[in-house]
Amino acid sequence: MKSGEKLRIAHLSPAYFSPDSYVGGGERYVDYLTQSLQTVAGFEQAIFAIGPDDQLFLRNGIPVRVLKNESSHPGMTNALSTRLWRELDGFDLVHIHQCLTLFGAFSTSIVRSLKIPAIGTDLGGGEDPQMLRGRGIELLDGLISISKYAHNLVGSHFKGPHEILIGPVDTDRFVPASREPSANVGQILCVSRILPHKGIDRVIAALPPSLNLTIVGRPYHQPYYELLVKMAEGKNVRFVLEADDDALLDIYNNSAVFVQASTARDIYGNNIAKPELMGLTTLEAMSCGLPVIVSDAGSLPELVTDARFGQVFSSHDDLVAIFEKVAAGAWPASDAGELARSHVISHHGLSAIGARLAAFYRRTIVSRKN
Amino acid sequence: MRSRGHEVQVLTTWSHVPQETKTPDWIRRRLDLHWYVPHTPNQTLEARDLHSAVCSSYANTLHLLDALLDFRPDVVSAWNLTGIGGLAMMDLLNHLDVPWTLYLGDRVPVDIAANVPADVRGIFNARGGEVYEKARIFSVSQNLLDEIETESSISFPQGADIVAGWADLSQSLPHQPYLQNGKARFVAASSVAPHKGTDLIIEASAQLQESGVDFSVDIFGEGDLPRYVDMAKRLRLEERVRFLGSLPYMDLLRAYSAYDAFLCPTWERDPFPFAPLGAAGCYTPPILTRNCGTSERLVDGVHCIKIERTAEDLARAMAEVATGQVNLAKMGRAGRRLVEGDLSFERHLDKMERAFEECARSWEMPEDPKLPLLLFLKHNLSVRLRFG
Repeated sequence: MKSGEKLRIAHLSPAYFSPDSYVGGGERYVDYLTQSLQTVAGFEQAIFAIGPDDQLFLRNGIPVRVLKNESSHPGMTNALSTRLWRELDGFDLVHIHQCLTLFGAFSTSIVRSLKIPAIGTDLGGGEDPQMLRGRGIELLDGLISISKYAHNLVGSHFKGPHEILIGPVDTDRFVPASREPSANVGQILCVSRILPHKGIDRVIAALPPSLNLTIVGRPYHQPYYELLVKMAEGKNVRFVLEADDDALLDIYNNSAVFVQASTARDIYGNNIAKPELMGLTTLEAMSCGLPVIVSDAGSLPELVTDARFGQVFSSHDDLVAIFEKVAAGAWPASDAGELARSHVISHHGLSAIGARLAAFYRRTIVSRKN
Repeated sequence: MRSRGHEVQVLTTWSHVPQETKTPDWIRRRLDLHWYVPHTPNQTLEARDLHSAVCSSYANTLHLLDALLDFRPDVVSAWNLTGIGGLAMMDLLNHLDVPWTLYLGDRVPVDIAANVPADVRGIFNARGGEVYEKARIFSVSQNLLDEIETESSISFPQGADIVAGWADLSQSLPHQPYLQNGKARFVAASSVAPHKGTDLIIEASAQLQESGVDFSVDIFGEGDLPRYVDMAKRLRLEERVRFLGSLPYMDLLRAYSAYDAFLCPTWERDPFPFAPLGAAGCYTPPILTRNCGTSERLVDGVHCIKIERTAEDLARAMAEVATGQVNLAKMGRAGRRLVEGDLSFERHLDKMERAFEECARSWEMPEDPKLPLLLFLKHNLSVRLRFG
């Protein structure tokens, strides 16, 4: 890059956020992160993802280049393209998302060979042995973790520069409705893919008769969904299995409290690795002015730094006690939603994260040159 | 090159045959040779051995890195990379931006393309011909370049120099009279195997015997001897065809002085059989396959007799020699002049030396303590993608 020119950043991801590719938190994260960098001057970005066929389109003004998958190994996180050798020419920095996967290891080897500074981020897609025990992760020039918890999982493998960026959230999109919060009293909301490790059973089990629970998410585990339906019998529970972004926003704005109950040990007794690297829906709820209740799994406690707008539970009894306070009107206070939103804007909003991301990218590029 | 005042270091394998040799200190025999197990057919090789041979051997790549760090050459000349994990080594040379040349004595790019899956090649930027783009390419024959392009779609846009093989005639002997006592003496020297045309030699000998011509055939070399001894016996050629084992190169050249013609009905794709060149240089005209690599350098009827690769055509050419229809002395002298001139080892060295000087440039070894880690990741990725 010449003086005065924009820094060119390439984001590599095995998939992109779309029903045509994959609708997951990892892909949404890349979307949000690129949007956050757009709030800072001096950068030009492109997203490279892998798909069944070549494609090029714009998303939020950023080119998304889909390269045809050349991998002989099935699975989204095993996707790869050898065309990265050519496509990455001229970029000042490459950010490899899902870096602890085969995709990440393959991409790291190419980016390092091209002598382009590389930053990695684990979005929960794998625990690639070559990147961890094989020390491939050390070939990265920097690491961005999406929570302290996520960083602790890789911290022993990577001693280089790192940054913890929780978020970002589009606080202009996830905004509170203008109606009085009191209109939603007693409305508990849970937004999550319906999977055992999301701990939705714990929410239903603790729900008192005086509260209503709305569960929004697609079932990815049919026996678990059927179990939840059975547990919900006789309680004020409704399931919304299909909700687009607008519908979801509407549901946020018709709720009083948000719950995320992910667990490291599911109802079937399975231990879950990396139960929650970052609770993005929790941040979105807070951005909409909802106080939140989160479990102590993974990174979730990091999201609620003030008991006035966030409560953490460890056990069934804890959650029952919190719900009793909600039902009795003892928590949250009337200003809790405002506090939650204010906290998200200042710590996890697009501008806040974008500024820190830009600074880390610049430091990494300068450091490599030196 | 050393005798011409250059500093040379050779990084190679131990000899593929068990010979006791004292190695000078400028030759580092540190590389593993991954697929040569004496007396074991290639078909029995494990896939992992093949991968190490053709694609990546981490130990060998590190040996190359060490040699580069230690010797800091002005140019690296890569030869015969099949067997030592050559793809990863070429990738390392590119990564370090070392000036390098690749001497194609056989179809290394085809071996790599055929035996390494495309996604694995991609780790080393060799999905197509990219890995060769920075190299100066030499080939023993145009025939070989054509074959590489046909078989692997890899061409060399930067161009390729045809630098043919050579013969060192320094210890050759004057030729004895041709067709002494009316008998034609033929010689062959190569692996004793179908692709080198041993079957054709024996079949042609049987046809020649039928015609009543007096002749003998001596076959030097090792290979599937029991099969061919049986074949010669079955065709009642025991008194005509002899199998004499292998001889050191210089002894072989001296031996040619007693023969009237050299038989080389090798397969068409033979990139450049050296043996007929040595024979031609020793006044012993070769009878060789019309479209093998060496044929590009020899003129039919002037330096050699070219044949279609059939027993019938070989027998016809042998009969022409045996019945005096060919001026062997004149053809022998022409062959000698050609090999002494264009195809001498000194002339070959002149070309290579000039090319090395053109190719050499300063380069800096980057201070990258993580380079071995990158090579480690690439090697392990190649194994993982290949074998799961």
